[in-house]
Amino acid sequence: MAWPSYDPGQFYDEMVAVSGRPRSEAEALWRHFSELGPEALAERQDAADREMRAIGVTFTVYEGSTGVDRPWPFDIIPRMMTSDEWHTVESGLVQRLNALNLFIDDVYHDQRSVSAGIVPSELVSGSPNFRRECVGVDPPGGIWAHICGSDLIRDADGTVYVLEDNLRVPSGVSYLLENRMVAKHVFPEMFRHYSIEPVDPYIGRLANMLASVSPSTGDPTIVVLTPGIYNSAYFEHAFLAQQLGVELVEGSDLVVLDDDCVYARTIDGLQRVDVIYRRIDDLYLDPEVFVPDSMLGVPGLVRAWRSGRVALVNAPGAGIADDKKVYSYVPDIIRYFLDEEPILATVPTLRCSDDDSRHYVLSNLERLVVKPANESGGYGVLVGTQASADELEQAAKQIEGEPKKWVAQPIIPLSTAPTLCDGEIAPRHVDLRPFTLLGPDGAYVTRGGLTRVARVAGSLVVNSSQGGGSKDTWVVDTRRANPPPASPEPPTEANAVNAADTGPLDP
Amino acid sequence: MTESAPTNHRTDRADRADLPTRTERNPVPTPAGDHDPSLEPKEPTMLLARMAEAVYWAGRYLERAEGTARIVQVHTDTHVDMPVGEDVGWEPLLAIVGVDSEFAERYSAAVEVDDEGAAEHDVIEFLLHGEENPSSILGSIASARKNLRTARPVVPREAWEACNNLWLASSDNLAEAATREGRVLWLRRVIAGCQRINGILLGTMSRDEAMSFLTIGQNLERADLTTRVLDVRAENLRPNQGDSYDEVHWMAVLRSLAAYQPFRRAMPARPQGGSTLRFLLQDDRFPRAVNACLTESRSQLKGLARSEDALDACAIASLIVASAAVPHLTLGGLSEFLDEVQVALDDIHRMVDETYFRPTFVGWQPESVAS
Repeated sequence: MAWPSYDPGQFYDEMVAVSGRPRSEAEALWRHFSELGPEALAERQDAADREMRAIGVTFTVYEGSTGVDRPWPFDIIPRMMTSDEWHTVESGLVQRLNALNLFIDDVYHDQRSVSAGIVPSELVSGSPNFRRECVGVDPPGGIWAHICGSDLIRDADGTVYVLEDNLRVPSGVSYLLENRMVAKHVFPEMFRHYSIEPVDPYIGRLANMLASVSPSTGDPTIVVLTPGIYNSAYFEHAFLAQQLGVELVEGSDLVVLDDDCVYARTIDGLQRVDVIYRRIDDLYLDPEVFVPDSMLGVPGLVRAWRSGRVALVNAPGAGIADDKKVYSYVPDIIRYFLDEEPILATVPTLRCSDDDSRHYVLSNLERLVVKPANESGGYGVLVGTQASADELEQAAKQIEGEPKKWVAQPIIPLSTAPTLCDGEIAPRHVDLRPFTLLGPDGAYVTRGGLTRVARVAGSLVVNSSQGGGSKDTWVVDTRRANPPPASPEPPTEANAVNAADTGPLDP
Repeated sequence: MTESAPTNHRTDRADRADLPTRTERNPVPTPAGDHDPSLEPKEPTMLLARMAEAVYWAGRYLERAEGTARIVQVHTDTHVDMPVGEDVGWEPLLAIVGVDSEFAERYSAAVEVDDEGAAEHDVIEFLLHGEENPSSILGSIASARKNLRTARPVVPREAWEACNNLWLASSDNLAEAATREGRVLWLRRVIAGCQRINGILLGTMSRDEAMSFLTIGQNLERADLTTRVLDVRAENLRPNQGDSYDEVHWMAVLRSLAAYQPFRRAMPARPQGGSTLRFLLQDDRFPRAVNACLTESRSQLKGLARSEDALDACAIASLIVASAAVPHLTLGGLSEFLDEVQVALDDIHRMVDETYFRPTFVGWQPESVAS
C-alpha cells in the first residue's frame, strides 16, 4: 500500500477529496510526501522544531499563576487554498469588517440600528462590552476596529463560516509570519513549484494603516503598548514592534499631561505619541475610567483619545461587536448598513436569554456547543458530544443560573487537514485565523491566515492555550505553477543544520 | 564573444570625453518644491528610557559572561603550569568576579573541610552556574537574554536569536562542564557565542542611540573587569620573586583579558608587572585596556544629549588612570589605586543611570509642555 495512507472519514478535508485523491492544487505536494517518505518528513519536522526554538518563537501558558514559555508548535504540512477561493473569503471579510465598524460607530452615536429594530436595545446597553465613555467619540474615518482576527471554519460540505470576529486585541499574526519563514526552509522546493501568495506585506500595510490614523501632521510617533513580559502574547508584541520599527511601551512608559496629549518617557525627556497599537484589554487601559487599580494602563489615556490627541488601535469599545450574541445579528447588520447580502456564512446561534432557545438548548445540550458570550481563547467552551454527564449537568446549571451569559451553536464538523502525528500523516481538525486591516485609506487581508490544528485525534479544540498546534497556510495561484520538483532532494545533515541555524555553539 | 560585447561597448562610450554622460545630460529629475517625505528619515526617532537601560545592561551582562569565561579558562590553564607548593588555588577567581562573600555563604561548611580538588569543583560550579551567584556565567547570559528580549524592538533580530541560542546551548550542555576537558569546550563556546553576538551587533546594528548605550555598557563592564583582574592577580596572588614563574603569572593576567598578543605587539619588554600594568591601564588602542574603554565611552556619550555629567565623570576616571604611577604601583598601593578607578567607573555608571534611565529626573518634563 502506498504511503501515506490517509482517510479523513466523513469530514471535509482541506487537501484530499472524497475520492481519496488529493485535490488538484495539492497533487504535487502529496506526491512529494510519498516520494520523501516518513523518515525524511520526520527529519524536516525536527529541523523546523529546532528552528522555532532557536529563533525564540514562544507562547506562554499559565500553570496556576506562573507563566511558562513554550516553543510554538508548528506542523510542517501546510494547509492549502486556491487563490480563487481565497479572494471570495477576502471580500467577505472586508465586507464584514466594514459593516461591523458602521455598527460600532452607530452604537456610540444615534443607534439607528436599534431604532430600526435590527438589534435589540438590551443587546447594546446591556452588554459588558458597551463603554459609555465612548459615546459620541469620532475616531478618524469612523473606524473603531482597525484590526480584526476572524476565526473561520469549514463545514462538512465545504462551506466557510465565520465563527468569531475578534475585534479587541486579536493575536496570532506574528506566528503566521514566523510559520511562513520556517515553512520556506522546510519545503523550499515546493515554494519553487507553487505560486504561493506572500504574507510579509502585512507589516507594511499595518504600518501604513497605523500612520493613517495619526492625529498629527508630519511623521507620526507610533508605539505598541504591551501589558509586559508576563503576558501570554508578549512574544508577538515584541515581534510587531521590531517589525514595525517602533517602540514597545508598557503603561509606565507613558504619561498623559494636562494638555491631554500622551508622552513617552524617552532618554531625551518626554516625547509626544500619536498612535498607540494597544495590546491591553479595554478595562485595563486607563485606571481613571476603567479598572481603577490597573497597573498596566495609563491614567488619562481615554481622555487623550476622546479629545482626539492620540489614536488607539483598536479603539476602546470596539468589543461591543464581537460579543457572541451580537454575532448572531451580523448578517442583518451587513444587510442594514451595506445593503448587501453577506458573502460569508454565519453559524446559527441560539441566545440562552431567549426562553424558547434556552429550552431547546437545555434539552439538546449533548448535540450543541455551548459558549460563554464574552470570552475568547476557547475558555469555557463545552462541546456537547464530547462532554461527560457531569459536565453537561454543570453546564445546564450555569445556563439556568445566568442565561444571558451563554449562547449555543450546532456542532460544525470542522474540516480536517493532513497533519504529521507520530511519523504518520493523519487527519486533524483545523480552523483558520486571517487578519483584516481597515483604515481610512482602505482594507487589507492577509493572504491566508494562521491555520490552527487540534493535535489530538477527533478533538475540535485548536487554541494554542489548550494544546493546539499550527500550520502555514498556502494560498496558491493554480494558474501559475512551475514544474514540480523532479525527485526529492535527499535531506542531508547540512540541510538540517542550515535550517535550524543553531550557530557555532554546536560542533 | 557576444557576452562581453555590450560591456566593452559601454566602456568605450563612457571613455569618450566628447559625449556627455547620462548624468550631465539628463540628471535625475528633482522637481523643485516636490518634497517626498517618504525619502527622509523619521523625525524624531525615539528611544524609551526603559529600552536604553535594557540595552545598556545587555551590553554589561554579555561582557561579564565573556570576561568571566576567559578568566576561568586562563586560570584553569595556568593552574597546571604553576610549581607544586605555589598553587594559588581557586579562591582568587571568586575575588575577581566579586562573589567571595556569596560563595562563603553557600559553601561555608564545605570549603574548610574539603581538600583542594573539591574546592575547584565548588568554585567552578559557582562561577559557571551557581544559583546563588547573580554574576555566574550562565546567570549573566540569562540576564543578557532577558534584557535583549525586552529590547528586541531596538536590537537586530539576529542578535537576539544568537543570544537565545547561546543561552539554550549553554544550559543544555551544562553537564559537560563538570570535567576540566568539558569545561574548556563549554567556556570556549560561551566566548564564541558572545563574540558572535558582538559581531552581529557590529555588522548589522545602526549606530543609533541604542547602540551607544550598549557600547557604553560593554566598555564600563570591560574596564571594571580589567581592574578586578589586575587587583586580584597583582596584589594578592603572588609576591614578585624574580623567577620565570613571574612571567608565567603576568602572561596569565594578559591572557585572561585576551591581551597577550596585543601586548607583545605594542610593548618592547616581556610581560612584567610594570609593563603589564602600563598596558592594561593606559593603552589607548587595545579595547580592553581601561583607557581605551574610557575613550570609547566618552565618544559614545558625546553623541547623546545631556551627557555633560557623565562626560565629567568619564574625564575624572581618565585622569586617574593617566596618573597611575607605574611601575611604582607594583611595589605597593596598587589595590588602593584600583579601588579609586573602580569608584570612578561606578560614578560614570551612576551618571548614565540618573541622566537617562530614572524617570524622576527633571529632564522628564520638557520645556514645551512645562507651562
